Amino acid sequence: MDLFFQQLINGLSLGSLYALIAVGYTVVYGIVQLINFAHGEIFMIGAFGAYATWMVMGQPTDWSAPLSILVLLPVMIIGGIIASVAVALLTERWAYRPLRNAPRLAPLITAIGVSVFLQEFVRLFYGYIPGFPDAKSAIPFPSVPGISGETIQVGGVLIQMTAVFTLAALVVCWVFLWYYVNRTKTGRAMVATSQDPDTARLMGINVDKVIMAAFAVGAALAAIAGVAHGLRYGNIDFKMGFLAGLKAFTAAVLGGIGNINGAVVGGLVLGVAEAMATTFIPGQFGSSAWKDVWAFVLLILVLVFRPQGLLGAKVVDRA
Amino acid sequence: MRVVIPDELKIRFRYPARALGITGGVLMLVSILLPWAYAPEALDDMTFYGAPSPLQLFFAVLPLLLILLLAIPLVGKQRLGKGAKVVAWNTTAKTASIMSLIVVAVAVAAIAIGLGGLVNVDPGGWLALVGGIMAVAATLFLPDSPEPTLYRVKSPKWLQILGIVVLMALLLFGAAYILGFEDADDFLMFAAFVVGMVMVLRQFGVFGWLGIAAAANNRILVLSAFVVAFAFPFTQNGSDANMSVASQVLIFAATALGLNIVVGLVGLLDLGYIAFLGAGAFTAAVLSESAFATIKWSPPFIVTVLIAGTVASLLGLLIGAPTLRVSGDYLAIVTLAFGEIFRITMNNLDGNDGPNLTNGSNGIPGIPDLNLFGFDFGKAHVILGIDIGRFANYYWLMLVVIALIIVVFTNLNHSRIGRGWVAIREDELAAEAMGVNTFALKLLAFAGGAFLAGVAGSVKAHYDVSVTPDQYVFLESAFLLAAVVLGGMGTVMGVLVGATILKLLPEKLRFFSDYRLLLFGLLMVIMMRFRPEGIVPDERRQLEFHDTDEELAEEVEEELTSHHAHLYPEAGGFVL
Amino acid sequence: MNKHSFKLVGVALVAASLAFAGCGSRADTASSSGGSSNKVATIGVISPLSGDLSALGLGIRNSVDLAIRQANESNAIPGWTLKLSPQDDQATPDVGKNAATKLSSDDTVVGVVGTLNSSVAQTVIPVLASATIVQVSPANTNPTLTQGEDLANPKRPYPNYFRTCTTDSVQGPFAAQYLLESGIKKVATIHDKKAYGQGLVEAFTTAFKAGGGTITDAETINPEDKDFSAVISKVKTTSPEAVYYGGEYPQAGPLSKQMKAAGLNVPLMGGDGIYDPNFIKLGGTDGDLATSVGAPVDSLDSAKAFVSAYSAAGFSEPYAAYGAYAYDAANAIINALKVSLKDATDAKSARQATIDAMANVSFDGATGKVAFDQFGDSTSRVLTVYKVVSGAWAAEKTGELKS
Repeated sequence: MDLFFQQLINGLSLGSLYALIAVGYTVVYGIVQLINFAHGEIFMIGAFGAYATWMVMGQPTDWSAPLSILVLLPVMIIGGIIASVAVALLTERWAYRPLRNAPRLAPLITAIGVSVFLQEFVRLFYGYIPGFPDAKSAIPFPSVPGISGETIQVGGVLIQMTAVFTLAALVVCWVFLWYYVNRTKTGRAMVATSQDPDTARLMGINVDKVIMAAFAVGAALAAIAGVAHGLRYGNIDFKMGFLAGLKAFTAAVLGGIGNINGAVVGGLVLGVAEAMATTFIPGQFGSSAWKDVWAFVLLILVLVFRPQGLLGAKVVDRA
Repeated sequence: MRVVIPDELKIRFRYPARALGITGGVLMLVSILLPWAYAPEALDDMTFYGAPSPLQLFFAVLPLLLILLLAIPLVGKQRLGKGAKVVAWNTTAKTASIMSLIVVAVAVAAIAIGLGGLVNVDPGGWLALVGGIMAVAATLFLPDSPEPTLYRVKSPKWLQILGIVVLMALLLFGAAYILGFEDADDFLMFAAFVVGMVMVLRQFGVFGWLGIAAAANNRILVLSAFVVAFAFPFTQNGSDANMSVASQVLIFAATALGLNIVVGLVGLLDLGYIAFLGAGAFTAAVLSESAFATIKWSPPFIVTVLIAGTVASLLGLLIGAPTLRVSGDYLAIVTLAFGEIFRITMNNLDGNDGPNLTNGSNGIPGIPDLNLFGFDFGKAHVILGIDIGRFANYYWLMLVVIALIIVVFTNLNHSRIGRGWVAIREDELAAEAMGVNTFALKLLAFAGGAFLAGVAGSVKAHYDVSVTPDQYVFLESAFLLAAVVLGGMGTVMGVLVGATILKLLPEKLRFFSDYRLLLFGLLMVIMMRFRPEGIVPDERRQLEFHDTDEELAEEVEEELTSHHAHLYPEAGGFVL
Repeated sequence: MNKHSFKLVGVALVAASLAFAGCGSRADTASSSGGSSNKVATIGVISPLSGDLSALGLGIRNSVDLAIRQANESNAIPGWTLKLSPQDDQATPDVGKNAATKLSSDDTVVGVVGTLNSSVAQTVIPVLASATIVQVSPANTNPTLTQGEDLANPKRPYPNYFRTCTTDSVQGPFAAQYLLESGIKKVATIHDKKAYGQGLVEAFTTAFKAGGGTITDAETINPEDKDFSAVISKVKTTSPEAVYYGGEYPQAGPLSKQMKAAGLNVPLMGGDGIYDPNFIKLGGTDGDLATSVGAPVDSLDSAKAFVSAYSAAGFSEPYAAYGAYAYDAANAIINALKVSLKDATDAKSARQATIDAMANVSFDGATGKVAFDQFGDSTSRVLTVYKVVSGAWAAEKTGELKS
């Protein structure tokens, strides 16, 4: 039974990571019906931005735990958010916006191009910043005293502080999102635009601004996920966005794309499903080599039997 | 970028400008008789007086054309007669001068970088550069000429056929010549020259004219294209290295043509297409006589091809049936996920994590060469006194496969099914309302495209000798898609062009191989932004991408009607 | 008639253009080049020079370059000058095959060092075999490349293929021997499903069980994975005394770190794929172990000579994990060429003789004694166990694999 709870914890913390990224897919899709394929790369840029911030701060490693959690970590997160939001807005402005009225294939192909470009850009040029390590292979992510390597023992279950951090980050972001969407002007404009862009425009909503806000919000959450990823796994690399992005998209579809709560639930479900599949599917197909396959099979099954996702999507059967 | 010269200046200086342009052209012509480089290592040894190198000679064609373009109008409108109208003399001259300058600039840069510094550029190079700048500056002062109407000139059938034959011959020798380059600098300069010639000829109206000629003599065009393609190995003296690249281009192109049905005709974005190629390759490998094959039954290759195609199309149905009902956007990601599932599964079917089918990541090596009707593809054969090696054999086989695919593709494109596909692409709801069975048609496209990839994969398995899961990664799918997008969605010619560019350039420009993917990503973005219809656009498609562009619509319409006016002259104009 | 005359004009034009091009070829000056009297023999390198694995591939290229420079300086083969022809395989079988075809159609090529990846080797070897060019790999560990598909009844598939690295079937058992000797009887295994890792774990498992040990759990991971927590939790319940990992350092480092974070405080052991400083940077902790071929560099004079010559040569990239093997591979070819090129008129005719001469090659290389058995595998069975001690690899024990 301990193993079950241990895997549940593992799954939930992995799932929170997926959920944080999935929100970005869902918000953007809800408003412009674009699968921002490059969102995984925005997540990666967030992690590299946070690392760059740490480098600029003089690579502090010996701060006390409270100081690290209250100052170092927030500053790193803000650095990551600045980097990822900036890149997200640039891609929106230069790559996606000119194609807003093009056939639907065009922005999707552009998104693939952006994704490959961003990966390669970081791989080739990150090391050119004076004093920075080469990004052609994985870079060790700084450890934050008080979080990295710390654990809490609950019965037979060992909970890592990095997992607690990821879960806490998800909860905070979720509350913030709820407030932002329901209580602020921009947030309500976002909802309006996603329901009917033309009417929203007639009502005096600046649709361009709303779309930019959607990209920015998604990118900010992705950057937080990037920092959580770095803390959890101790290293970051230029390829980390590909699989994570794919899984997060799966999570968004699972929960119902366009639905923010759905993205969060979908992420958690997917994470838990992956962890459980490793342990509880018997025989040869239960080995962890198959867990990605099970995650994608889950995606296909959802599309067959409940295309609107677990919590229901805003728009489902678009031609 | 664009320099605008006021009209009154243009009119006042039109004769001096013309004279200056001709002088620039002459300077460039003379420059090839002088050395361009200090040392022989740069480009193809441009260090001689009075003995131009091959690249210099090729380059000289551009200034020569420039001089002719500037000089001929001097005889006066009267004597030119019709020629004054059908050819855009001034605009073409401008293109020729700009292209000359670009080629010179590439050469000078190559010399400077290759030998370490601008001091290594000899007087010839500088003279050419000065001549080029003079010509460009001068042609900017020439008044713009109207669009060329060369294609409206009635030409006899033999002339049209000759045009096609000359084009094909140029293609053949051009391709052979390009493959022969070892050095990236030489290749770049020659490529700049070819692009320059293409631009000049296009501006002159030659391609418009060729388009009409090709439309009127379709069969001859197709036939001569294949004759040229078949003759290609003979121009290489059996060089294995070049034929190896050429046959890989063909395998890649065959797969991209299959993808083109799915993406180009039906408008379904498939990001896991490489998995179908892989399915075909693995099927053929498992059924081959390799000692590593896990199924000890080896049917004749013809049967294997069919099985491989069927397996791939079954996979296509398996993945298409659930997702094609939903939305096009989901399909992109589901196919991407499917590509990953395929790769991971092939990795896992190794006897430890599943039944042993593929030997896991080791894959199936040692696949023997094909042997069809006693023709051993692994051996060199002497044909017409030329050694035709292993790679040329596979090249020919792939040519047959591609021919079949093209026949299927064009017939489908012009059939009821093809029109249904295009209708789905343009507006699925409307198509459905008009009674098109959209789901069945989409499924057909998906399975059909997969079948073609499976067939290509079965040849690839034998050609590659070994099949491993890591050959079939997402990036390969992205490259296939890029070939389709770059060349032109929905056209055969475009995909062939796209596939050739994407496979050939990295092979010849090894020095930027580290930046290959970066440029590739950038290229996709830029293409979608500025030329989403690709290099060789499908006319319907072009309109679709530029539906707000009135000018283009009129242009295409005019061109279409004049096509018909020309094709059916006795009907007196507007047929259709 | 009109038609006819135009054809004639066309033919004349083509002929004229060919003649025109003919003028440009400066036959009178071409013969003046190539003043040196030495004949040229080329040694090719096929390795990833761009992309993810370029650090390893460039190390291989530079090390071969070093061996060739040294041979030319000492005039190792009188009358011949050796040349290097490096080719990028981008770690992809397709590209590797193009590179091999290019080398095999160059008549001066007498030997090739490469490839890095076993999967690339599978497409490269047949091409070079059909041209009878000797190939020595510094890094392929897949046993089937030399022993054929049936390892119980080994049969050599390609007579031109040799390697200086040891295969999985030597490293795995050596690790098992070490763990058993240090009193560890319960081990869990994890591998990344790649040829290298899987082979290593299989060889380890067989030897470990034969020596009386128990495998508590056998797991696999996906090399693209970042999150190993599910696997670690599963392994932890079987309470092993060590974890044997088959794979490379980019996964092994984080795996070791996540193991310790999840409370599985046992050493992680691996092969030469994790014997790299980056393993420690990415999370390898004190007590982790790795096996590597040969005696430690600082105990071997030939190895020290290689390291100092490499740094003196001023390459911009480090020699990386396989540099020393590549250096030995190149020297093995050069030693064979000393025999085969002695009486050869041209490089191409010496190809078969070079392959024949490889069987008798024997010298002290940077990784120890270099010689090949009847399958083309390295005969070296001296290995060293390294341990992470206060954040750096330290030699723990050097020994020979008992068979």
